[in-house]
Order: sequence, then structure tokens, then C-alpha cells
Amino acid sequence: MFDQLRAFHRPTSVATALRLFAAERRAGGRGRFIAGGTDLVVQGDRSLRYIVDLTRLPLRYVKRRGGGWAIGATSTMADLERAPALRRLADGMVAEAAGTAGSPQIRNMATIGGNLANASPACDLGPPLLALDASVVIAGKGARRTVPLDRFFRGVHRTALNGGLLVEIVVPALPKAAGGRAAWSFQKLGRLQSDIAVVNAAAGVVLDKHGRCNWARIALGAVAPVPLRARRAEALLVGRAFDAAAIAAAAECAAQEARPVSDVRASAEYRREMSRVLVSRALTECLERTRRTR
Amino acid sequence: MNDLVIRVTINGEPKRWTVAPGDLLLDVLRRESYWGVKKGCETGECGACAVLLDGEAINSCLMFAAQADGRKLTTIEGIAARDQLDPIQEAFLDHGAVQCGYCTPAMVLCTKALLAHSPHPSEAEVREMLAGVFCRCTGYKKPVEAVLAASQAHAATPARPGAARTRAARRKGAKR
Repeated sequence: MFDQLRAFHRPTSVATALRLFAAERRAGGRGRFIAGGTDLVVQGDRSLRYIVDLTRLPLRYVKRRGGGWAIGATSTMADLERAPALRRLADGMVAEAAGTAGSPQIRNMATIGGNLANASPACDLGPPLLALDASVVIAGKGARRTVPLDRFFRGVHRTALNGGLLVEIVVPALPKAAGGRAAWSFQKLGRLQSDIAVVNAAAGVVLDKHGRCNWARIALGAVAPVPLRARRAEALLVGRAFDAAAIAAAAECAAQEARPVSDVRASAEYRREMSRVLVSRALTECLERTRRTR
Repeated sequence: MNDLVIRVTINGEPKRWTVAPGDLLLDVLRRESYWGVKKGCETGECGACAVLLDGEAINSCLMFAAQADGRKLTTIEGIAARDQLDPIQEAFLDHGAVQCGYCTPAMVLCTKALLAHSPHPSEAEVREMLAGVFCRCTGYKKPVEAVLAASQAHAATPARPGAARTRAARRKGAKR
């Protein structure tokens, strides 16, 4: 399928990877970076002339940094599922999402960097990382750039990478729960849990000690060209008691913020309705989690 | 003209292969006569091409052969120790978990990887693992039973590092 490829590079540093890619580009033809290959190989682009492999770069790590977390771009979904730091982060929401990203073999290959750089509207890590206000670090000519995830996704399979290389994902310190409690939830609807999402969603809330919502994040996937923050729904929650009525209102609002399309997996109407259902489930799970630990 | 030379250790044996930049691992393995690696969907869905890469199950149809350079591969051909079947293979036979057999090598290898991480998996864990390998003959009842039985056999013989080493050494000796 890839018999037109003239070169396959396996650099061991980010600088070399960028240099090789630039040199190949000058020589002509299209090329790609590859890590797990689970999207690139399936896409089967016959116009590719060169590939620069990233799996030898020292980018396979999950670590605490400052009050937050840094995740190397070539960490696999299986790495994220098992990383103790991520199992504890945000009620395990990121580890849980990674655990639904395909079959066990796919999760041993697919990487967090690839999941984001491929920019599928249905990518499973998009909503939880959006809800955590994550950013991506992009290496390219000159200094590294840090781009907030909600400005990284530009359209279906379109990103702010602009020829750069996604090297790290940064999750900042969680919002302070000062006397109250924070809770998080990831939800996904697919034929099976490990199938591509028909709709996925993530939510996070911080409640004060009276149960009033101080801070909220709601993110949806597969219902717009890019994974989406439901900002109006978030605003509805802040400053009021976090109860069943608030959850129902926010879920309804989030469904109206979705811009779904019909395709082979679901109609736009179904996706909109399921956006409401998943946001409702996510927020309800958050509510249950805040009660459980009180 | 742009061929690459890769070195892999496959089923314990070091190999040196010449591959084209665009060769996928699945095609190279079959070209090198590892026919237990099956070609199914070629899009990462069916799992029939699963092999172990440094002990973890991957779909060889989604990996470029060049990426396997320097890594350790295990195919179904390397699972039995000489003429002694692996307990997982025994369990698949005992439970009638093999029908046409096309998905069986991948199921056995994925079971091997699961039991290495989780020696006593729940039925849900076993089903989740087997969901990565499509069986189109029947269903998953017999394979699930076989994997659970294999895990109990695993439990009955507690891992003794010394014993494992001896077995590995014996296998190595046989190959020479």
C-alpha cells in the first residue's frame, strides 16, 4: 500500500526529527510524522513519499510538573490507562477515556499525540483534556509554542500544528476546591465501549461547601467539526446550587450548542439528543461523586 | 534502492531482514514464513494479525516493519516450547475454542499478554481483551471459558522465577 515511500526515518531526538522532516520537504513530495500508525496507515495516503517515525523520541512519559501534569506525546493509550498519576487525576477521567480508545492492540499502539494531532471530531481524549484546560506544546522552527487545546483544533483533521511537531500535553493544576469538592466524569456512547464515539462528553465541577457551583467545564466530542466546550451550559451552572434542575438545564443548553452532522453512525438529531443525555449523565456522576466523598 | 536493514528478535531468534520503507510488519512476517500471523481486514479492526511486540499485543497490519527494528517479537510459532504446548493452547483445545482457526493465533497471543499483566482476570476483562480479535465462526463463549481456565492453570502453578528461567533456557538450547 505504501510502495511509493522513498524514505522511513527513525530519529532519536526532536531536533533531528524536525531537521529530517524539513530536509525531506525541501527534496519534494508529501510526508508525515508517525507514532502508533493507527490512523495514518488506515488512511492509506498513497501520495506520501517519506515518513519520520517518532517512537524512538524520549516522549513517552507521564509526570507531575509544578502543580500540574506533563504527558509526552508518544505515550500510548495503554500507558495513560495504567499511569498511577492519571488514575488519580480528575477522578481518573483521562485514564478512563484512554481505556475506551479502541481494542487492546490499538491502545498499545495509538498515542495521545496522534489522537490529538489527527484531530478527529470523535477523538476520545479531546473532551476530557478540554475540560481540564489542557494545552499542547508544539516544537518547530525556533521556540516551542504552547497552544490551549480549544485553539488547537481548527476543523475536521485540521489543527494549529502548521508543520510543527506536537511534543507534550500539559494539564494545569486543578481549580482549588477550597472547603468544597471537585468532581469529574467522562461519558461515551458507541456500539461497544471501545468503538469510535457516536458522542463523547466530559464534565468537571467545583462546588463550595454549600453545594453551590463555583466552576464548571463541559466538553463534547463527535457533535461538531472539533471537540467542543459548551460554554453557555458551563455559565448556566456557575453561581447556583448544583442539583437535578441545574443539571437538566445545563444538559439542554449543551445540546443546543452542539452542531452535529448525520453520518453512517448516527443522525444529527440523535447526536443532539445524546449530547443532552451524556452531559446529563456526566454532571449527575459528578454530583454523586461530590456526595460520596463528603 | 531505498531498502532498510532491520534487526529483530523473533521467537527468541535474532534475525536481519531487508525491507522497503513502505513495508508493513504483517507483510514482512508472512514473507518470512510466519504464516500464523493472519491477514484479515488490514485496517486494524479484526486483530487476526496480532503479534506480541516486547510482550504487548499489537496489530501488525498497522505497523511499518521499519518500526520493529531493535524490538522483540513473538508470533504463535514461538508460543509452544518445542513439542510442549503452552497452557493457553492446551486450554483452547480442551474447551473446543478453536473452530476454523483463523483468529486463534491472535486470541492465544492476546491471552498471553493479558495474563502477563493480569494473572487472574475477571470474565469482563477477558471479554474486553477478546473484543480485539474478531471470531466470525461462532461467538466467544468457548474462548472466554478457555482463557479463564488458562488463568486458573496459571494460578495453580505459582510463578517461580527460577522455573521460568530454566524453561526459557531449555527453549533457547533447543533452537541452537
